[in-house]
Formats: sequence, C-alpha cells, structure tokens
Amino acid sequence: MGLLRYIENKGIELRSGSEITLSDGSTALLLCNPTKLECGVAEQGSERLVVVHTTDQSSQLQFNVERGGSLHVVELFLSNVTARSVICQQADSHCQITSIVVDSAAVDYQVDMNGEGAESLLRSIFLLSGQEQAKVGVRVNHNASHTFSDSLVKGVASGEARGEFDGLVYVADGVCQVDARQLSRNIVIGGKAHIATNPQLEIYADDVKCSHGATVGQLDGDAVLYMRQRGLSEAQARSLQLEGFVVDVLSLIGDGELYDALKQDLDNKLERL
Amino acid sequence: MLSVKNLHATVDGKEILRGINLEVHPGEVHAIMGPNGSGKSTFASVLAGNEKFTVTEGSVEFLGENILDLPIEDRARMGLFLGFQYPVEIPGVTMANFMKVALNEQRKYRGEEPLSAGEFLRLMKQKSAVVELDSKLTSRAVNEGFSGGEKKKNEIFQMAMLEPKLAVLDETDSGLDIDALRIVATGVTKLHTEENATIVITHYQRLLDYIVPDFVHVLYKGRIIHTGDKSLALKLEKEGYDWLINEYKE
Repeated sequence: MGLLRYIENKGIELRSGSEITLSDGSTALLLCNPTKLECGVAEQGSERLVVVHTTDQSSQLQFNVERGGSLHVVELFLSNVTARSVICQQADSHCQITSIVVDSAAVDYQVDMNGEGAESLLRSIFLLSGQEQAKVGVRVNHNASHTFSDSLVKGVASGEARGEFDGLVYVADGVCQVDARQLSRNIVIGGKAHIATNPQLEIYADDVKCSHGATVGQLDGDAVLYMRQRGLSEAQARSLQLEGFVVDVLSLIGDGELYDALKQDLDNKLERL
Repeated sequence: MLSVKNLHATVDGKEILRGINLEVHPGEVHAIMGPNGSGKSTFASVLAGNEKFTVTEGSVEFLGENILDLPIEDRARMGLFLGFQYPVEIPGVTMANFMKVALNEQRKYRGEEPLSAGEFLRLMKQKSAVVELDSKLTSRAVNEGFSGGEKKKNEIFQMAMLEPKLAVLDETDSGLDIDALRIVATGVTKLHTEENATIVITHYQRLLDYIVPDFVHVLYKGRIIHTGDKSLALKLEKEGYDWLINEYKE
C-alpha cells in the first residue's frame, strides 16, 4: 500500500491539516497539497510537519521559527509540483528538513539563518526514471554569526530522466564563526540519464568554515557482481545498492505506518530505476 | 562434482587460460598454486561466471550440469561459492540484510521456504562464531570500514551462511596476519564435510598447514603443468617453481 492509499484509507481529508501519530508516540501535522501557507513555531516551541504533494500544482510555504524553536519537516513529492519553501530561523532555533522527490518536481528551499546559534539540517533525495525531470534547489543564507548548516542532496536518474541540483551557501559580510556544509551525490544509470549539479559558495566574511562537494557516478559494477555471486539477481543487486545509497536519508523519516506506506512507494520506484 | 575439460578463456582478446583440466569430487580439497600471472584468479572468476572473461573452448560441468551458459547468480544458487581476493564494499547495505536476501534467494532456487527472522538471526549468530567474527560487524554495511583481516573472515562467514557444495577461495590468505590466517583457515576446515569440496588458490604453503589438501596443482601460463599431494607444496616453498617450469619447457 502506497502513501496515497494510506492517506485515503485513514480518511485524512486532502488539503486540510490533520494530526497523525508517529511511531514514537509524538504527533505531527499532516499537510496534503498545500498551495500557500505560512506557519510559525513559537519561541522555544516545537513543531513536526509532514507535507505530501500528490497533485500537479504549485506550492508556497513559509515557516518562521522563533528563538529557540524547533521545526522538523518531512516533505514528499509524489507529483509534478513546483514548490518553494522559505524557512526563517531566529537565534538558537533548530530546523531539520527531509525531502523526497519521486516525480517531475521543481523544489526550492531557502533557509534564512537570521539569529545567532541557529542550526539547519537538510537532507533530500530525488529518484527519477523514464522521462522525469526534477530540480532541487537549496539556498542557505547565513545572515548571523555562530550559525551552522549542513545540506546533503542525493540524486538517482535512470532511463532518460534528468535531474538537477542547484546549491548556494551565502555568508553575509560581517558575520563570523559560520560552519556551512553542502554536498551533492549522484548516481546516473545508463547512457541516457543526466544529472547536473551545481554547488556554489558565496562568502563575504573571513572567519567561516565552509565545505562543498559534488560527485556523479554510476552503480558499482564490482558490487553488483559480488552480490550476484552470492545468489542475488542483477535487479536485486542494483536495487539493494541504490537502497544503500539513499538509506541514510530515508532513515531520518522514522518508522511507523506512514513510513511503511512511503517505503512501499520508494521500493516500487527503486525497482523501476 | 566439478569437471573441467580443456578450458580456454580470454580477457580483452588475450588468452589467459589455455587448456585446464581438473576433476574435483565431494570431500576433496584441492590447492592451486603457481607464479604470479599464471591465471589462478582468472580460473576462479571463470568458474564463478564473471562475464568479463570469455570462454573460447572447453567445458565446465558442476553437479553434472554444463554451467558455462549459466549466469553467475545461478551458479551461486547451485552451490558454487567464490571467496573474493578483494571483497567489495557496499555502502548502506548491512551484512544482515545482504545475507538474508542472498540466503533466501538460494533457498528459493532449491524450492525451500524462506527463513523466519528468528531462524535467520540464530543462524547468523551460530555462523559468525565459526570465524570468530565480531557480531557487531553483521549489523554494519558490507565490508565498509572492515580491516583486511575482517574482510577475509567475512568471506568465510558468508561461506558458512550459504553452505556451498563447492567453495573456490581466491587467495583468501593474502594480507592476513598469523592470527587471522589461523582463524580463516580453521573456519574453512570446520566447514569441510564429505559432501562438499574446496579449491584453495594460494601463493603460500603456510595456509596449507591448516587446510590440508588432497591435491596440489601448479598452474603455469594457463595450464596445470603438475599435480602432486601435499608434499608438493612444501617442495615448492623450498625450491620455487623453476624446476617445474624448466621441465615443462623441455
């Protein structure tokens, strides 16, 4: 049962927000196909959101995380959607975004770190097959000192799919003690798939630690051979290897019914790659 | 169990195996030795079914079936195991998950039911003891960050899990310190029965102190030029290969 069926079966009305219980007992707000939304996390408050896109449309989200607040977002793109999310973080706030793209979507994240001590963690994967085309953009603006960001975007494209990553770490003039990391890792399957990756740094301050990197590779033929020698079919070996490639990001979603439903979608997708 | 006749194989158009003949019966241990570049690892890869190599002549029968047209995974499922000289790292794939898929795939091929989670865990625990493999390693990604010795132990652990009919161990002893060598070799010996067979490919006689072979073959320029018993390995260790090679030339 995929995610869509799960949501329908649960009777959760699409579009309106409703609470779901996660496996650890905590609750999260489920948003289905939001078109425009502004959402705040109060000082020292904590919010968990699961955002699911199942229809072809555009979406604009804004999250304001006040001082000491904590925001945890899992966003799933199962349709051809254009989405832009802006996250404004005040001092000592913490934000974790996990974003999964399995269809032709254009996804942009902008994280504004406006207060000292803010931390941002972003993890994204895109899995594309056939003729799908997707773009993931991540812009992190370090507008305050003592801020930390870590972004990792992993892409897999097969068939004639095209994927694109645009990353920018911006460090404003006059700030200090910034630690920013950005990494793009990609696997291209077959001769017709294509992934373009473009990680950039724009730094106007001196006392900063920034790292960025990008890799585009293919499935490891030696690993496939090794697994086949143990009895796995070629398809199993490839899909196990791809699963291994994205597991660190997937594991951030947590477990429970929602995750199981999503896992089904992802397994189906991995098999098609 | 294994019958190799006049096996010729090439890689990138270059002939590496030039007429190998070998008969292996259940319960036997064969050692294949020989100077560098004589085709030992190629022979192991060709038996396993690595598509990088092209068989140009000859036949290989395993359990009475011609396996040369079978893909590598079907040969594995029939019970042919290759211990890799350089085990591959597979990031993100845990040993437990890998072995579970592999074992159940092999069971399916034999028409057996998949193991339950409990049965599988018990088996993992029992088999990791055979090679004194730290049970923590089984929850880690396949070979990732393993030391050289751990990787080789892990090969024998997988062999213990899969219980092959024929195991071909390609220089399993290379890069091992004395303790790891003893553990790996003892593991292989423990797994040996009257129903299965082992081919060990090695450079050094020291492995054969633990794994006592019934036959020692010398491979040179893609052919087996001499076969003896375990005393041959000792003689080779002492005198090298020159006397055999000279004899062969004449």
